[in-house]
Amino acid sequence: MIPGKYRSVSGRAANNVNCGLHLVIQTSSLPEKSKVEFKLNKETPSFSGRLLQHDLERNYSSRQGDHIHLASSSMPSFPILQRSSEEKILYSDRLTLERQKLTVCPIIDGEEHLRLLNFQHNFITRIQNISNLQRLIFLDLYDNQIEEISGLSTLRSLRVLLLGKNRIKQISNLENLKSLDVLDLHGNQITKIENVSHLCDLRVLNLARNLLSHVDNLNGLDSLTELNLRHNQITFVRDVDNLPCLQRLFLSFNNISTFESVCCLADSSSLSDITFDGNPIAQESWYKHTILQNMMQLRQLDMKRVTEEERRMASVVAKKEEEKKRESHKQSLLKEKKRLTINNVARKWDLQQHRIPNIAPNQDRKVSDSSQDPSQLHGSTVSAFPEETGSLDSGLTNDLQGLSVTDTHLVEVDGDTLSLYGSGALESLDRNWSVQTAGMVTTVSFTFIEFDEIVQVLPKLKIKFPNSLHLKFKETNLVMLQQFNALAQLRRVDQLTIDPQGNPVVNFTLWKYYVLFRLSHFSMQKINGTEVTQNDMIMAERLFGILAHVASSELPQYRMISILGDARKKQFRYLLETKGKKPGLVNEENNDSKRLVGENTNRAMLNYTTRDFYNERLEEIKEKKKFCKMYMEDLVKEATEINMKNEALQKLWPQMFIELVRDAVIEIRNKNSYMKLCLQQITDQN
Amino acid sequence: MLSPDRLALPDYEYLAQRHVLTYMEDAVCQLLENKEDISQYGVARFFTEYFNSVCQGTHILFREFSFIQATPHNRASFLRAFWKCFRTVGKNGDLLTMREYHCLLQLLCPDFPLELTQKAARIVLMDDAMDCLMSFSDFLLAFQIQFYYSEFLESVAAIYQDLLAGKNPNTVIVPTSSSGQHRQRPPLGEASVLEGVEASLFSQCLENLCDRHKYSCPPPALVKEVLSNVQRLTFYGFLVALSKHHGINQALGALPDKGDLMHDPAMDEELERLLAQVPGLVNSAPANPEAGCLPFRTPPRVGSPWRPLHHARKVDAESDGSTEETDESET
Repeated sequence: MIPGKYRSVSGRAANNVNCGLHLVIQTSSLPEKSKVEFKLNKETPSFSGRLLQHDLERNYSSRQGDHIHLASSSMPSFPILQRSSEEKILYSDRLTLERQKLTVCPIIDGEEHLRLLNFQHNFITRIQNISNLQRLIFLDLYDNQIEEISGLSTLRSLRVLLLGKNRIKQISNLENLKSLDVLDLHGNQITKIENVSHLCDLRVLNLARNLLSHVDNLNGLDSLTELNLRHNQITFVRDVDNLPCLQRLFLSFNNISTFESVCCLADSSSLSDITFDGNPIAQESWYKHTILQNMMQLRQLDMKRVTEEERRMASVVAKKEEEKKRESHKQSLLKEKKRLTINNVARKWDLQQHRIPNIAPNQDRKVSDSSQDPSQLHGSTVSAFPEETGSLDSGLTNDLQGLSVTDTHLVEVDGDTLSLYGSGALESLDRNWSVQTAGMVTTVSFTFIEFDEIVQVLPKLKIKFPNSLHLKFKETNLVMLQQFNALAQLRRVDQLTIDPQGNPVVNFTLWKYYVLFRLSHFSMQKINGTEVTQNDMIMAERLFGILAHVASSELPQYRMISILGDARKKQFRYLLETKGKKPGLVNEENNDSKRLVGENTNRAMLNYTTRDFYNERLEEIKEKKKFCKMYMEDLVKEATEINMKNEALQKLWPQMFIELVRDAVIEIRNKNSYMKLCLQQITDQN
Repeated sequence: MLSPDRLALPDYEYLAQRHVLTYMEDAVCQLLENKEDISQYGVARFFTEYFNSVCQGTHILFREFSFIQATPHNRASFLRAFWKCFRTVGKNGDLLTMREYHCLLQLLCPDFPLELTQKAARIVLMDDAMDCLMSFSDFLLAFQIQFYYSEFLESVAAIYQDLLAGKNPNTVIVPTSSSGQHRQRPPLGEASVLEGVEASLFSQCLENLCDRHKYSCPPPALVKEVLSNVQRLTFYGFLVALSKHHGINQALGALPDKGDLMHDPAMDEELERLLAQVPGLVNSAPANPEAGCLPFRTPPRVGSPWRPLHHARKVDAESDGSTEETDESET
């Protein structure tokens, strides 16, 4: 008995209106992409056979049934709904009122057994007048204009509540709906998940296309198996591990960018299906394997099955990353250790150079005059190494071999550079270096080592690292030009870097020219980073050429031999001292020195003996000198004696001569007696 | 040579005065040190070479400081060698610090003491800012004075200090009474007001010093000349005047005149030859035909003992027959 004027739906041509009998249980409208099944519990057998899936083009197979009569009620705005008794009997538990252009919920009389109520596609703004339908299990209010969840407090049996595509701003007033199984709130304006903790039977919760920015407050939903959060603005997810049954979680088209923001998912053992597509995280290179690695329980990712292959790859990649992290950690440890060692060496060096007072082991950096260099005041050098960036690259272990890091010295080989810190490091040259490592080294860097000590190991360097072409010196106490002479014994040097720090020789105007001059046979390319030009070579020759000329041509022969001999003697001495000397090597050395002498005889005169050696030699000579002195004194004494005697003889001779003659004449005066005397003498002799 | 003075001295003193013993001792010492090498070519030749090099002034190259300092001849040779080797540095116009000059000195004598160089630098810089740059000629001349007359200068310094303090070392030896009265005057007030000491007083003291001194000192006449030009002078003023006085330079005989300090045509030619040999350099300079004859060039300066009389090799050809055998054995 619907009055004609309330039969409002006939105006709509497109939809075949039959709000009466057909028992279509409509699923909530979902975005184009996916279909969702609503599987309800078997406890509601009345619906199990009647579930149909819809796509958006709803094809109604309408059944013509009795019409529903909407009569007016006593209240002017609420229509009263009545059905024919036949319908009531046929479909006693379901009532469909979709597309009825309803703006309010009508009062439904006499339908207390109603279990399914469908209000889809209306204009209802408030849920009202259904409090009496206390048997209601299924309530569909999809696509209305509801702004607030209300009026449901009596529906204690409600199992399915579909409120999609409304204008609901917050989840509330669901306290009594403890049996709720499916709650669909998609397409609303909800900003926060709240007031759902009591829904312990809830299995499906759809909050897609809302305004959620984060996910938490999910405790209490002990039955939840599916949670749809697509198309929100979610940046992080929490509490998912409190959902013991959650199997499917859809997070597509949100704002998740790191795994840390969803890390609780890793702890959820029930999750088997997850989507992240449309999030920034899905664009990352590490996305897939990070997810797979952290969520081993996953079966589907982004609606695609996770294959064993993928899982394996993920774990492999993850392992590699782990290793890389460990490696870089090790590197940084090593770096730190190196830095500390270098600091230590620097401090020792400063002590040695009398730059800081011996007593203070703490950070007292007083600058004190060193007795040797009053005009070169240095600050402590430790401050120069606060962060040793070093030549380490945190690559793979092949590139870096950090060796013997002890407290007093540091030896490090990094690709093509051998770095030595502290005088103890020089001993490392004795080690057995692999031919490959040693062959790759082209740069040798000395720091915090006295140059005089370096000089003594240069022959070793020459042999062990034959390809070393670039030498760097820092804090090595290079003070004299003469010291560069020592470098001439090397095979070849292409580049030389003398750091001004700790090497006063760099302050001299002429040092570069001297180096070029003395080491001209190397044809050096660069000194301290600047290229060597032809002009430099000419200038060097011009400045010091005469020195070489004088040294070679004006020295007497024996001096030349003795100086050269010294150099060769030293080399031989070294060779004899090394263990495992090979005779072939000796010859090579010989040839080398011969060749060297042949190339620049004039420069070979310019040698450098370290101060200690020099003093040693002078000491040795002292003995000889003393002997010579004594010897000469004896000679002089003899000579003067002889001279004196000679002079005395000169003086006395005339007198002596006269006496001799007189004696002789006197003897021969008496011929006879003289003859007798002579004969007597002859017989006596026999 | 055969003057009666020569015979007047007792033998030992005569030898000592001529430093013959020093050289003999050194020669024997060198012989002992290098006997393996020298025995190859004979002792006689060694002695010849040695004394030739002493004559030429090359014996001090790369020797220890104690030897270089031993005789005036050694010192003069060393100065000359230094000039010869590093004249090019001066010619280039570089101004160097005291340390760098010291470095250059050490190239020729590894254990040359720093104090001497410092003292020489003080003369140039008038005891001022010791890190100043000095020109080659300034340094060389000052160094010459300091090194050659080091003992003399020490005594002079002592005298100067005494004079400054008012003490007069000459009170014992008073030539004239009038000058004695002069000295009675307490110069304390004067010294504090005016700088230095009275030149005449100073001059007299120095004269006495020269007479007494057994080691070398500059010709007294020249010293007097230096002091006669001024009224008062300071110690370093005196030294600077000494160093720049060309008469003293000539008397020393080690270095050419100040004006000629940068000139050494023989070495310049040698240098050109060396430069032509620098690898990669296009030989633009025409080969000097005279360069080959360099060793035979007679020096323009007559009577100077410093010119290399012969190239070292030529000595062999002119020595007596005993060394000819060793020549052949070498080939």
